[in-house]
Amino acid sequence: MASRTVAKDIITLRGSAAIVSEFFGYAANSVMFFYSILYNRGVYPEESFAKVKKYGLPMLLTQDEGVKSFITNLTAQLSEWLEAGKLQRVVMVIMSKATNEVLERWNFSIETDSHVFEKGVSREKSDREIMREIQAIMRQIASSITYLPCLDEPCVFDVLAYTDTDVAVPFTWIESDPKLIANPQMVKLHSFDTKIHKVDTLVSYKNDEWDEQ
Amino acid sequence: MDPETEFLSSKRQTGNEWELFKENVRPLKRGRNVDLLNHALKARTNDQLKKSLLENRRRLIEAIDEYQGDDPLQPWLDCIKWVQEAFPPGGDFSGLVLIYEQCVRAFWHSDHYKDDLRYLKVWLEYAEHCSDAEVIYYFLDANDIGKTHSAYYIAYALHMESKSKMKAANDLLNLGISSNAQPIEKLRDAYKKFLARSMRRPNATEEELKEDDLPVRSFGTVLARGESQRQAIKTFELGRNKLKQDQVHRTPLSIYNDTNMDVTRGHHSKPNTGSNSWHTLGGRAERNKENNAMPAKWTSHKIPQRPVPRIVGAVASAQIEVFVDEECEEKPKVHDEKDRTSSLQLRELDGRNIKKETELLRENPLRNFPSNSLPR
Repeated sequence: MASRTVAKDIITLRGSAAIVSEFFGYAANSVMFFYSILYNRGVYPEESFAKVKKYGLPMLLTQDEGVKSFITNLTAQLSEWLEAGKLQRVVMVIMSKATNEVLERWNFSIETDSHVFEKGVSREKSDREIMREIQAIMRQIASSITYLPCLDEPCVFDVLAYTDTDVAVPFTWIESDPKLIANPQMVKLHSFDTKIHKVDTLVSYKNDEWDEQ
Repeated sequence: MDPETEFLSSKRQTGNEWELFKENVRPLKRGRNVDLLNHALKARTNDQLKKSLLENRRRLIEAIDEYQGDDPLQPWLDCIKWVQEAFPPGGDFSGLVLIYEQCVRAFWHSDHYKDDLRYLKVWLEYAEHCSDAEVIYYFLDANDIGKTHSAYYIAYALHMESKSKMKAANDLLNLGISSNAQPIEKLRDAYKKFLARSMRRPNATEEELKEDDLPVRSFGTVLARGESQRQAIKTFELGRNKLKQDQVHRTPLSIYNDTNMDVTRGHHSKPNTGSNSWHTLGGRAERNKENNAMPAKWTSHKIPQRPVPRIVGAVASAQIEVFVDEECEEKPKVHDEKDRTSSLQLRELDGRNIKKETELLRENPLRNFPSNSLPR
């Protein structure tokens, strides 16, 4: 019994990667930051999301099969890179459907503790504490409406992965330019930390000018 | 290094006031600068910061007056933007409505700005703050302002839709498309969404009778319905932008007041507070009183006079009332007469006057316009 409790709190690399992958919106039934962003920013209509409870927070899960499988596949790949310690950053890019102009970038920047990575184990941090940190970020995403420009045109999204250079590009991914915003406004959100991976979040958005269409 | 990587790797943090005080922040369609927002939120409890905000505003207003270049609209926009950032909750005390009004009035006759999108946007934002913006859209139409832009048709059509004038909304969007307003894709997309919404409407067949009337006064019935529809439309249209809190500012609830009924008879009887006033229909004489009562003088009711509208000359002569906190009040500056070539005046008023003037403008957005400019 004691060993079970202990095992729960010490995060192995595999466990940590699983949590951070969940962080990015993991398989089939649950939603994390990707869906939260897609829902809160209105990239897909409200009606296409269903409510699901996970980690004590009601979360939204898309019912659109195309989006669901797209995100499931890509997070499987992100998970793999994460476990191999090769993933540096994940960015969800929101663009205007009509013009492809980048309107928002949601940055998740990952720091792997390489010392821990070699050894495979780390200091203690409870699941609950990690979940609290994740929840804090989810709340910030929902509250970002206070400063983000309204996206009142149809938008599409893309996910960019920044990896080590020795990573081979898988079949379903392509090499891409970073799709940056010129002169962005930037807001740092909370970070979250599993003591193996540390994830910093940042959202950048276009300055909306009065003479913009 | 790109700015995001640089920011991520730096030790710099973004302040958290925006999240702590998010209930006090009115979302802006064009978004906000978070540093300015945090600063403004901090200023609410910090006199030093408050003083610096007021100083900023003074400078921006002076900049409007002193501007020499060929784009006099720009300093107005700087000022408007700044007021929006510095007063996150918006509201009647921010003076925002006053600035919108003075800005649009300063340039309504100017050919230079007829097709300027920025100028149109000021009008549209002004319209969003009024109880009934129809008179504004009429004005824009009559004066050919903003008609090359999709934003004009979209906003006007949305307004008509909120009043259930579906045919008018339909015609407007079509007109915009056939006029090739820009950007055309946005207009087409808005039209598609409009059609989808009108399919879902319960009374798809009923048509309004008074399509081309001037705004009709309503006493609580039409307005209540229109507001809930506008809420439904805007919530859908603008996604997560929770404009519901904005609705509270925008459209005051009008409350039907029945007490005038007795005045026509010259009575001074108290309004019927009896418990059975709603339970009995009353006799025929009682029911027909509106048709049978003899007209009489309204001796017990006084209607306050409207102030005479100021005449606006060819030169922009705007008066800006500046909100000044009691603790920051200063003696009015003494101006050298020869330096004042423009007629821009600074009047220091307290918050109450700003609120009063804002309320008057909400009800009658064109009240300060010269009568020859108003649509017939």
